Amino acid sequence: MRHGYASFLLAHCLRRLNGERTLAAVYHLLSGKKSAQTLQDCKWFQLAPFFGTWKDVTMDRLEEAALVLVRKQRAAPVHDRTYILTEKGRHWLDEQAAWFPRYVNGWRYHEIEPLFWQRLSLIGQTLSNLSHGQRFIPICRDERTLLWVKQYLLDKRSRQTLARALYDELTRLLAAVSEEAATVFVLRLTSARRIGWTAEQIAAWLQKDVLYVQFQFRNVLHYMMAEAEAGRAPVMAELMAGLAPVQLTQSAQKTYEWLQKGKTIDEIAALRRLKKSTIEDHVVELAANVPDFSIAPFVAAERAAAIQAAARALGTRKLKRIREALGGIASYFEIRLVLAKEVGRWMN
Amino acid sequence: MDELTKTLHERFGHASFRPGQRDVIEDVLSGRDVLAMLPTGSGKSLCYQLPAYFLPGSVLIVSPLVSLMEDQVEQLRRRGEKRVVAFHSLLDAEEKWHALTSLPDFRFIYASPEMLQSETFLAALRRVRVSLFVVDEAHCISQWGYDFRPDFLKLGAVRHALGSPPCLALTATATPEVQEDIIRTLGMERARRHIYSVDRPNIALAVERCLSVEDKAARLAECAKRLRGPGIVYFSSRQWAEEMARRLAQNGAGRVAYYHAGMDGEQRLLVQQQFLYDELDIVCCTSAFGMGVDKGNVRFVLHFHMPAQLEAYVQEIGRAGRDGAPSLAVLFYADGDRAIAQAVAEAELPDSAALREWCRRLPEDAVRGGWRAAVDAGGFTDIQKRLLAYFLEWGQTAAPEQLTAAAKERLYERMAAAIEARRRWKRKKLREMEEWVHAFSCRRAAIVRAFGEELSDKPDACCDNCGLETDRFMTDGRRPEAAPVRPWREELWHMFFGGRRHDEAAK
Ligand SMILES: [Zn+2]
Repeated sequence: MRHGYASFLLAHCLRRLNGERTLAAVYHLLSGKKSAQTLQDCKWFQLAPFFGTWKDVTMDRLEEAALVLVRKQRAAPVHDRTYILTEKGRHWLDEQAAWFPRYVNGWRYHEIEPLFWQRLSLIGQTLSNLSHGQRFIPICRDERTLLWVKQYLLDKRSRQTLARALYDELTRLLAAVSEEAATVFVLRLTSARRIGWTAEQIAAWLQKDVLYVQFQFRNVLHYMMAEAEAGRAPVMAELMAGLAPVQLTQSAQKTYEWLQKGKTIDEIAALRRLKKSTIEDHVVELAANVPDFSIAPFVAAERAAAIQAAARALGTRKLKRIREALGGIASYFEIRLVLAKEVGRWMN
Repeated sequence: MDELTKTLHERFGHASFRPGQRDVIEDVLSGRDVLAMLPTGSGKSLCYQLPAYFLPGSVLIVSPLVSLMEDQVEQLRRRGEKRVVAFHSLLDAEEKWHALTSLPDFRFIYASPEMLQSETFLAALRRVRVSLFVVDEAHCISQWGYDFRPDFLKLGAVRHALGSPPCLALTATATPEVQEDIIRTLGMERARRHIYSVDRPNIALAVERCLSVEDKAARLAECAKRLRGPGIVYFSSRQWAEEMARRLAQNGAGRVAYYHAGMDGEQRLLVQQQFLYDELDIVCCTSAFGMGVDKGNVRFVLHFHMPAQLEAYVQEIGRAGRDGAPSLAVLFYADGDRAIAQAVAEAELPDSAALREWCRRLPEDAVRGGWRAAVDAGGFTDIQKRLLAYFLEWGQTAAPEQLTAAAKERLYERMAAAIEARRRWKRKKLREMEEWVHAFSCRRAAIVRAFGEELSDKPDACCDNCGLETDRFMTDGRRPEAAPVRPWREELWHMFFGGRRHDEAAK
């Protein structure tokens, strides 16, 4: 299969949506748009596993995939940009069951997947080069990951033991997925001998669709995280430390949308007829869970630095003690925000 | 051994200075303002990194590209330097509050021009003793430079706000006109200029005229297959880079990948590193590739499309032969390429009808800050927005506080005139490039002349107009096929333990 995975994914979504949503809904779902509507769709149509799993999808790609389905009589248009699967389409979809990425859980992992992968691949590269006695240029540039991995390796008593444990665990986890998926995953890793391949290079080598390769890879990553959360993959669980799977409450989600429209906390409280403290809780939740959420509008940089310094110096997360140490100049809300952001960032 | 050489050895692991470095460093250490034009690959960054170990306080480095900054930071850290920090974006600053409050503790502070617009960041910087203000890729300051970044224009004011510390402006390619711009914009006084020739004697130059695009593609495929690698091929568009990468790979040119700004960060990094470690033979790319790729053994740089300026061309071919070994640069030309280059060059200029419409729709009470939002909402491309913001700031000096219809019209006219001037300048630069392509005399001499120098020495392998035979760069040996990949279990085993077994076998 060199093409066609987009059609497969779309067919799966169409079957669940059953003609009740347009292609735009599929687009929002796959690209991971955080609107209340899309989040609801996810649950309602049981498409949560695919949420945010194809971040750079375009409307063009989806329309093209829809066209292919229609041409092959696997789907039929019902309204403008709305399709349902035909009997033939349902059969075809069932026959392609092997393509289904059954471990993919976008809803739970789409936010933390990149950071988890960065850690895993950087640790792999580091251990491999240590074993080969070589210097190297890190395969990751994200400073959060660089710092985290450095600290992680420093905390380990023996790198050899870690290498052994990681190797054993990877081998065991990969043995549980298909041979092809395991191959894709290993080729993506960077070692002392070989820089990791891009999905496209792997696709060319396997003569497969790039999108299919990407989903195979994601399937393995999500499987590893799920095993870690189930307590069956201790090394992977360590790599997930601090990477809380995103579970924003619907209410916090609403607040987030208002904030993005430029409303202040007071305005949102008035609009939603909620207590100001409730909205503040949402903001703290957002700071902890949304990596790109800026807390600058709510706390001055100088004060944030002071709070951060105090928390570190005291070695405590007790709000009251931090507030006292700062002579009461910072509000509890400000302290909670800074601490929440730090948990999200530095994963301690 | 003197102090400088000793530090060079101890901190940077080099036995001796490369041409130009020592003179620049000595002037920097004596507190002079310095403009240094050193060819790419000559170790420009050492010119401020080494002085940092002799100067009190911190060295502030302004750099236009995040990836460039990251490379430098990474390099310094690998050499054991801990007192280095980089700020590229506001979000970034938030993560680094801690660093922001202890800014004076850092020896190297890297910052993007965007960061220097932040009041908070500037306030933190004012508490630092900046002993050297470095502007990397300083040609970005000049609107007559091939890579103009309006953000850079404010650097003069920033430097002033920091108490005008001594300034070092670094660039690889700046015509005399651009050099003047740099000195004036940064407010450099009695600046010492260290201008080293743009000529790279070990790079042979050639232009191949082709009959059609198809002919060009066929010639490129032929060359890519036979030329001794590794090499880089530049294209004017992402589509072409991708398409030709596939064709070259199918045509037996070895391990080929493409690279452009439309790829995600991880993919770009993988391709860059594969190339660095000789796991790729050819990279087909847009101009996004190259800055920060420090690879010595690039044997050829080919251009499938003509750049819009000679300076850009010189910068790009400069990525060949940094190890000093013979290398080749070939530009393929077919009729119609001029139009392509012009379209690419002028894509950054907003269309005048759209601009007029946009000016008309500006809110009447648009105050200075509010205009920015209008720029963002105008449906322009990123580069157009940057340019528009710049023209706007420049044009609004003529506008009163209340934007009446007449004032909007005046504003439009001023902006349109500025854009028109830029268009004319771009056409002039393109003509210069085109003349170079069609020249019958020595190409090396022509390049050097464009930078206001005279060529003193011609290498044997000079250029096609001096009788260059490109055959000497060809090889009969076929490239190795892509590394055979083992079954995944073995691959994984070798990843973690391959080296150890090797070591044990050696004992
Ligand atoms: Zn010549």
